Formats: sequence, C-alpha cells, structure tokens
Amino acid sequence: MPHERHIMGLFKNEDQVVSTLEALKTSPYEFVRVNTPIPSHKIMQSLNLKKSKVGWFTLCGGIIGFISGFGLAAFTATRWDLIVGGKPIMAIIPFVVVGFEATILFAVFGNVIGLLTQMRMPNFGSLQYYDPRCSGEHFGVLATCEAHQENSLEDFFRQRGAVVKIWPTSKGGDPDEGFEDSRVQGSVGS
Amino acid sequence: MTRLSYAKIDQTILDTLSPPKWTYWGILALLLMGVLVGAACWTYQIFVGIGVGGQNNPVAWGTYLINFVFWVGIAHSGTLISAILHLFRAGWRNPIARAAETMTVFAVCVAGLFPFIHLGRVWQVYYMLPIPSQRLLWPNFLSPLMFDVVAISTYLTVSSLFWYTGMLPDLAAVRDRSTGTRHKIFTFLSLGWSGAHEQWRHYTRGYLFFAALATPLVISVHSVVSWDFALGIVPGWHTTIFAPYFVAGAIHSGLAMVLTLMIPLRKLFKYEDIITMEVLQNVAKTIVLTGLIVGLAYGTEYFIAWYSHNTIEMEQFRWRALGDFRWGFYFMVLCNTLVPLLFLFKKIRTTIASLFIISLIVNFGMWWERFVIIVGGVAHGVSPHAWGLYRPTMIEFGIMFGTFCLFFFLFMLFAKHLPSVSMTEMKETLEGGHDHAA
Repeated sequence: MPHERHIMGLFKNEDQVVSTLEALKTSPYEFVRVNTPIPSHKIMQSLNLKKSKVGWFTLCGGIIGFISGFGLAAFTATRWDLIVGGKPIMAIIPFVVVGFEATILFAVFGNVIGLLTQMRMPNFGSLQYYDPRCSGEHFGVLATCEAHQENSLEDFFRQRGAVVKIWPTSKGGDPDEGFEDSRVQGSVGS
Repeated sequence: MTRLSYAKIDQTILDTLSPPKWTYWGILALLLMGVLVGAACWTYQIFVGIGVGGQNNPVAWGTYLINFVFWVGIAHSGTLISAILHLFRAGWRNPIARAAETMTVFAVCVAGLFPFIHLGRVWQVYYMLPIPSQRLLWPNFLSPLMFDVVAISTYLTVSSLFWYTGMLPDLAAVRDRSTGTRHKIFTFLSLGWSGAHEQWRHYTRGYLFFAALATPLVISVHSVVSWDFALGIVPGWHTTIFAPYFVAGAIHSGLAMVLTLMIPLRKLFKYEDIITMEVLQNVAKTIVLTGLIVGLAYGTEYFIAWYSHNTIEMEQFRWRALGDFRWGFYFMVLCNTLVPLLFLFKKIRTTIASLFIISLIVNFGMWWERFVIIVGGVAHGVSPHAWGLYRPTMIEFGIMFGTFCLFFFLFMLFAKHLPSVSMTEMKETLEGGHDHAA
C-alpha cells in the first residue's frame, strides 16, 4: 500500500536528529532521508551507512592515468628513436614524472565522475520534498506515513522539538510546496 | 568563535553578496584598465617581436619566467590551506580556505599566461601539445619544460575542480536564499545539491580523496617548476635542493599573499568574527616556519658552493652577494627570512597593520628571490666571456602590471559574487568540527 504523506521534522540540533532517527527505527513510519547543512558523523553513524564507492572510481582513474601518461611518453619517444641528452630512448624516470601527473589528473576525473554518478547529480529540476532551511541552520528528517497516521507522525516530530512541514498527497500534490512556513531565515542582502 | 551561530554565519557571508557600491565598480574598472594596459603591451610584442623585451643573450629568461614562478608559488599555499591542512584536521584553516583556494585558481590562471607571453610566437604553442608535427616528430617528454606543461595544466584542472566541488553546498545555500535571475544561476551552479545524507556520504569521501590527491600534486608541481632550472647545467641552478627549496618558497609567498588578500577582505566584509585574529596569527606563525626553511635553503646553497670546491659555483655565489644584482639578493634574504621573524613577537603578529605590511614585504622579497635565481644564474654562467646583464623594458613592466591587475580583478569579482568564506566549513567549526567532515 503506497504511503500517502511526506512529513519533515526540522531540527536545529544534530543530537535531536540522532535521537529522532533512533526512535524512527522502531516506529511504524518510514524514514526517507535527512537533509543537513553540514556533514554530520553522528547522523551518519546513526544511519549506519556503508562506505561510499567513490574511491573505486578514483582508483580506476588513477590507474588509467598512470598507464596513459607513461604510455604517451613512451609511445612518443619510440616513434623516431632519437637519443636526446644521452638518455635512453625509454627513460623510465622522466616518464614516471609524466605518468605521475596523469595519475593525479585522471584520478581526480574518476573522483568527479564517481561523485556525480553516486550523488545522482546534476539534477537541474526542482528538488522534491526539500526545505530550503536545510541549507541554513536546520536539519530536516523526512519520513512517510499512511494518511491516517499523519497526525501521529506530526506529533512524533513535535515531541522531539521539531518544526514540522507537511507535503500534500504524493499523487496530485506538488512536492515542492509544503503546508508549513518554508521561508528561509537569512537571505542574500539587497 | 562562541558568538557565532549558523544563522549569523549565513547572514554575514550572504550579506557580502549584496549589490556593491559604485566604489567597487570604480576599483574594478581601474583594474580592468590595468589589464588592458597589459593586453596592449602583449599585443605590441606579438606584432613587433619578442625583442621588445629586455631578455637577450645570455639572459634569455627574464620577468616573464620570474612572474611565472612567482604566480605558481602564490598558488601553492591555497592548496596547502585547503588540502594539506584539511588532512591534518587543522580547524583554523576553515575561515580562509575558500579565499585561499580561489587565490590558487586565479594565480595558476595568471601563471599559465606567462609561458605563452614568453613564447613570443604564441601561435606556435601547439608544439607543446602531444600532437605530432608534419614530420611525425612528437614533443620530447624528457624535457622538464614538457613536465611543466603537464604539471601546470593538471594543477589548474585539479585546483579548479577542487574549488568548485568544495563550493557546492554553499552554492545551494545561496540558491535557497535568492530570487529571480540569481536564483536561476545558482540553481544551475549547485547542480541539485540538497544536503541529503546520501549526498554527504559520497561528498565527504570524494572531498577527502581530492585533498589526498591535491597534496602530492602541489609538491610535485613546484618540484617540476624547479627542475626547469635544476636540470639545466647552469651555475646557481644545477642543484638537488631546488625542489624542496622551491616548494617551501612557494608556500612562503602564498601564505603572505593570503594575508595580503584576507586582511582587506576581513575589514571590508566585516568578517572579524569569522576570520579571527587567531587565524591570522596561525598564518603568521606558519610564515615564520616557511621563512626559516627558505633561509636554510639560502644558507645551504652557499654551503654547497663552498663545500664543492667548484670554482664556477663559488664565483656564482660570490657574485650573487657582491655583484651587479646584489640588491636583489639582499632584498630576498632580508624580506623572506629576517623580516618574517618579527612575527615571533606576539605584539607584531596580533597587529593588523604589521601583519599586512610584512605580508607585502614577503611578497616583494619572494619576487626578488626569483629574479636572483633566474637572472643571476644565466647572467654569470660558466664562461666569463658570456657574462651579461639584464634590465626589463617598459613592455615587460606593462605586461607584469597587467597580470597583477588581472589577478586582483578576478579576485574582486569572486569576492562579491560567490561566498568568499565557506559557510559549511564554518558551521562544522562551530560543531567542534574539523573531524566532522570526512
């Protein structure tokens, strides 16, 4: 049976978020995500998240980079077999310098590709079930529940010190527009 | 720091993005005029020939290469602050990391112009690209100049990506607090960042890898720049200490430039609660350390010349202290090693005026250090009949002036249009935070 309501509890304290997340685990509501203005170890530990796979992209990029850089230097040197400065045609040490720089360059490319694919970015459309206060001073915990549980989930968040934001039904409603005040505190000066 | 809150951090930094006064546009226009002066001089050089500069036999490398090394050096402390101090969990770097990273990107851009300027026939730059000539002859990757092409282009790419990635959460914060065209621009720039835990999970890991990759890169780049000289059989250049010597000097000059930029920024943007005196003090203390390392390198060069019993090397270093360019040598020793020792006195490193003045002195001294090394080596080389002197021309001064204006022009544009302090990292600092990220 599909969940009907998306409700976000907005907290100002990460410890409150952690205790709410712990309580959510044993509740009938379904945790969706938490939006935070900073990376929080406490929250990540509470969610028991796996290690990111971005590093594999970085590693692959680095390996490709070294092979490409060293290979380019070696390939170009062997086209004419010209001895320059008394060095061997296949001069390992200078080519390692080129290989090293290419390792870093391609590792960073791999890192960026890893980040973009894992974070599912770029996403230029509007953000669903997102409150702009979460990039300021609030930590937003988003959960879903059945329509008849709406009030109890709202109370669940309020009892833990949250400001609550409710989105209308997932079908037909605009996930960008919540019921609660979503104006942000602080704005670009004019 | 205790007076800060998330809201205050946001408001202080977002206030800096408010529409600027006419004085800002006036200064920007003056800097743009300076850029145009430099561009005009370069255009003149392209039409008339590289001979309009003062470089000639035996001093074929003049201000263009001096400025190249100077600006690459300036770039380095940005990476030191953003990457190396991030790995060391030095929380005090958070308020200045963004501006220092920006300084890195712009300084590398400016530095990257000089090989083109020095090339003379700039349209022949494709000889440095890994494409074969009409005789299928490829660039020579044994040459340190080719190392340089690879290293500097890698450094520009990596530092730009590092800078942009670090800014993503802040770009989203500006998006969420703006309207109209600015909102649209920042929606595009922030790539859909929402701060969801899944995003942070990958982001913190990716940022850590960025820092871990940028750290060896920054050391390698200035080592490669030093090998442009050290691999040449020129007295004063051909020495094994050049790589660490150049890296230390680069960080020394860059830290001084951080102070030069941060102090006015702190005053103009009312960042006193964010860029605290403690942060500036820490930069000053690091300058003392790098100044001592640089001083040790100066002394070691003399020791090597004396200990080698090599008459050519000994003559080079005698001439360095007593010859035609001795003033440059005195400037570099005084400004880079002795004057920064004043920061040992708390009174001096806690006074804004003295911090600013000493930072300018170190910048001046570091420019002269490059002059002494680059010009001094070839001016007084192996054969006495090939000795000669060098004097920059007005065209060279014009180009140098233009590039300085370009750097400050870009930095001023950045300061009013993007968050000049990382809001995210400042909030992490409040949470006791350097161990928060990553």
